[in-house]
Amino acid sequence: MAEHDCGNEAAAYALGALEPAEAEAFALHMESCAVCRDEVAAFALVVDALPLAAPQHEIPRALRRRVMAQARAQPPPHAAATAPRWAWRGLAAAPRGAMAAFAVALAALALVGGIELSKGGTPTRVIKASIGAAELDISGGHGQLIVQKLPPPAQGRIYELWLQHGSSSPLPSTLFSVNSHGTADVGVPGDLHGVSRILVTDEPAGGSATPTGKTLIVAMLS
Amino acid sequence: MYLPTRLTRSTDLGLLADEDLMARVYAGDTRAFAVVFDRHAAVAFSLAYRMCGRRALAEEVVQEAFLSLWRSGARYERARGSVRSWVLAVVHHRAIDVLRHESARAGRDIHDEELGASLPAEERTDLEVERRSDARLVRNALDELPADQRKVIELAYFSGFSHSEIAELLGIPAGTVKGRMRLGMGKLRLALGDSVDVLL
Repeated sequence: MAEHDCGNEAAAYALGALEPAEAEAFALHMESCAVCRDEVAAFALVVDALPLAAPQHEIPRALRRRVMAQARAQPPPHAAATAPRWAWRGLAAAPRGAMAAFAVALAALALVGGIELSKGGTPTRVIKASIGAAELDISGGHGQLIVQKLPPPAQGRIYELWLQHGSSSPLPSTLFSVNSHGTADVGVPGDLHGVSRILVTDEPAGGSATPTGKTLIVAMLS
Repeated sequence: MYLPTRLTRSTDLGLLADEDLMARVYAGDTRAFAVVFDRHAAVAFSLAYRMCGRRALAEEVVQEAFLSLWRSGARYERARGSVRSWVLAVVHHRAIDVLRHESARAGRDIHDEELGASLPAEERTDLEVERRSDARLVRNALDELPADQRKVIELAYFSGFSHSEIAELLGIPAGTVKGRMRLGMGKLRLALGDSVDVLL
């Protein structure tokens, strides 16, 4: 660690203390720098432990009552429905500008040199990745997305996977990060029947109801 | 999705790992959600309270984070395999938003007097005892750092300041701030050793 000198960005990055442009540049740098990736991964473990350095308090009983009351009053729609209706409501309410920006981002990605991974005979699909590499294995209607050389999301960000049916708006599927080597093995929840594209975008921690960040990976299924 | 049917009481659910509980949460099981809440809300609230400095704001941040987990079900950060990390990252992110919003209104307070007061202690469970023991370990490691290194880490993590803002606050070059962060974080990593993988 001491001989490596890419600046002192790794700790500041892990703490979320870089300015947005610096964080983006450092994330790109990590793509080709294993030392910085390892350093950030080590610091990320410390960051995960830092909440315990705060003075510890009990859970306020009133807070627990409120949270549980709201949970009982508003069951997650996907629990009772066969289709994720909550996502459709979110999309219907999405600002037109956001969807237009997403369409532009997709168009831009189409111009990026795609990475085609086909393993003769195996159901692996064509993937376009603007950063890193990815492949999608499909078996029995279920998909497994394997990404490589993808930098860890910036502090307060997360990668989000989307399913798109035909030309309709993408529906949120799952959230993921990558390990210190930039790889992740992401199971795609549910059946892929009728899905035309699988997308990965960069989103705020907690995910978004509609895509707001940069589109990094696109898998064409039909 | 496979859901074990024999585990129906809350006490039984308490035996399940977070990942198994989240499968039930995704299916709308409020008892499983309550178990997840009871496991992680205290540290989440403590973090939010440390960052926001006001109990009402901290409760609001924690409530939003857990209801987000409830609504989104299994859409937490699976790759890191930790519900706790996901919840704390959301709490941290939202608390920083609150801090910035408050800062725009009245200036950011980094020395809130309320933080000195402890909330009333309730019945201590084994989990609670373990949490406080882990907290002592991390707190001691942080306290052992040279004051200048501890300061920049606390300002960045708990107060949400960027390295440029910290440099301005402390009247030192930004490079010095980042250097202190790196030294301090390196020492914390060594001090916590393998225990960071198993805390909570």
